Amino acid sequence: MQETNISAKNFEQCQKCSLCETVCPVMANNPKYAGPKRSGPDGERYRLKNGIFFEDSLKYCLNCKRCEVACPSGVRIADLIQQARIDYGRKAPKLRDMMLASTDQVGPLASAFAPLANFGLGLSPVKGLMDITIGVDRHRTLPKYASETFVHWFKKNAAAAQEGYKKQISYFHGCYANYNYPQLGKDFVAVMNAFGIGVQLMPEERCCGVAKIANGMIATATRDARINMNAFGRSVKEGRDIVTVSTTCTLTILEEYPELLKVDNSLVRDHVSLVEQYLYKGIVSGVLKPVWKEGFKARAAYHCPCHQERLGWGIFTTELLKMIPGMELIELESNCCGIAGTYGFKKENYKVSQAIGKPLFDNIMAIAPDYVACECETCKWQIEMSTGISVKNPVSILAEALDLDKTAAANR
Amino acid sequence: MKFDVIIIGGGLAGMTAATALQTSGMRCAVVAEGLSLHNASRREFCAAGGTLLAGDRVVSGRFAGDRLVAVRTEKLGDIELEAENFVLATGKYFSRGLVADMDRVYEPLFGLDVDYDEDRSTWFDPSFAAPQKFLEFGVKSPGGLAVKDGAVIANLYPAGEVLAGLSSAQGDATAAIVKSATDAANAIGRK
Repeated sequence: MQETNISAKNFEQCQKCSLCETVCPVMANNPKYAGPKRSGPDGERYRLKNGIFFEDSLKYCLNCKRCEVACPSGVRIADLIQQARIDYGRKAPKLRDMMLASTDQVGPLASAFAPLANFGLGLSPVKGLMDITIGVDRHRTLPKYASETFVHWFKKNAAAAQEGYKKQISYFHGCYANYNYPQLGKDFVAVMNAFGIGVQLMPEERCCGVAKIANGMIATATRDARINMNAFGRSVKEGRDIVTVSTTCTLTILEEYPELLKVDNSLVRDHVSLVEQYLYKGIVSGVLKPVWKEGFKARAAYHCPCHQERLGWGIFTTELLKMIPGMELIELESNCCGIAGTYGFKKENYKVSQAIGKPLFDNIMAIAPDYVACECETCKWQIEMSTGISVKNPVSILAEALDLDKTAAANR
Repeated sequence: MKFDVIIIGGGLAGMTAATALQTSGMRCAVVAEGLSLHNASRREFCAAGGTLLAGDRVVSGRFAGDRLVAVRTEKLGDIELEAENFVLATGKYFSRGLVADMDRVYEPLFGLDVDYDEDRSTWFDPSFAAPQKFLEFGVKSPGGLAVKDGAVIANLYPAGEVLAGLSSAQGDATAAIVKSATDAANAIGRK
């Protein structure tokens, strides 16, 4: 039956079992949202008849994809919803949505004036003004911008040394490491180099486009996706696999490109891996030899981001972190943090966003770990703002836990 | 990745076996395609340190002699999940633990031997309320172990509705499902 099913995104496989509704974080907190079953496969039947059946409430879907993880019949529920928004959404994106989504346009500007931008965005009159004028909620702590981008730092301080390594990979850094938190990129380079792997950047790299897809800027997202796929293709041809740090960028590239933007990734998809997966495989197969610091001690709680849950690769992160001597790792119960990229920044979503994340925040505060381990940058903003407990990317934890000099010697 | 026990399927039978084994000190992983598992049992299993691969699906198994050595999943790709013992708790037709073609009923994951009637006309009764024979079909399990091509697999324990003679669609089979899962867990625990 599966073999002969030709309905787009498997929607005819929906058995109406409603399991997706039991895991939808929005449905439990926002009565305006009809839920994944009705917005996805049910609504699709009507929309196929006539586009007037498209409902504006689909915008409340935060695309966490938990419905797809829960579906026993393989229906791509969240993709159906995103696709409907692309095909039938009639309104042009608002100025605010374009600003939030254009991480690669706003990033360079904000970085250039970082001290001013960070200062300004932290002031309550400015936040109040943004709340009233463009609808970015005033309660939200806005992301900080770095005054030196990762790419700039890399060219100045690290690029030259990379040629010295026999094995080479391409690093897809994404907007976050570049504009908001270059330390993550620096940690990545330090860890890779310690394992004897040279890091190359792809000069053509563009934003993965996830925020643009979510905010209706499909033409730009598609253009960028094509440019990225060309860059990935060239990298693979030259013998360098692509390693990423962002779970959301990775899911977008692997799943949303072909499914929503119709950009083919079949030639490169087997060559793209998240850094945790890449390192786990290398260490387990004996190719990479870690030497851990003596006396390292940490008590961390692992939060698996929704898109990592969808990729099904969270196990690589937990197995990798459990290898660290002195690491006590508590795996948090799976729960969306509520931010979902640009979603939680919007005034109309702020309350729902915080309500969705509450069980997670309560759980973290009850455990009171030294820090939360999490691969996702927007989860980091949300959890830090809502719990006051710091969130570290597993790469940064590795950079602290590894004896980088001894590891480098062992992998020479 | 190595575990003591891998449980394929996260329904009532799978989670019952998994929680019993994990709390007895074994390292378990559950591969659950779709979250049919109950929240409470999932919480208990994870709190006991169990590994849950949610939304993933076993696609193939590697056998050596009379043993299942490892399985591969859709999402972990070339990373194998190895274990000493396996529990097969994939359910019946809805969850694709069994597949019915026009001329046969089979177990799609490993091609295990299935107990069914080759005469298709006996499979169902056109009267909706009558007992339906196809619901009695399921994998063979002499001594609690699965059978493949007539040979017993020494470390693969079917449990729950994938078993022949067990179906929750006709009467309440909850107790029988839980018992089959507990039996599997006990058999593994005794090893």
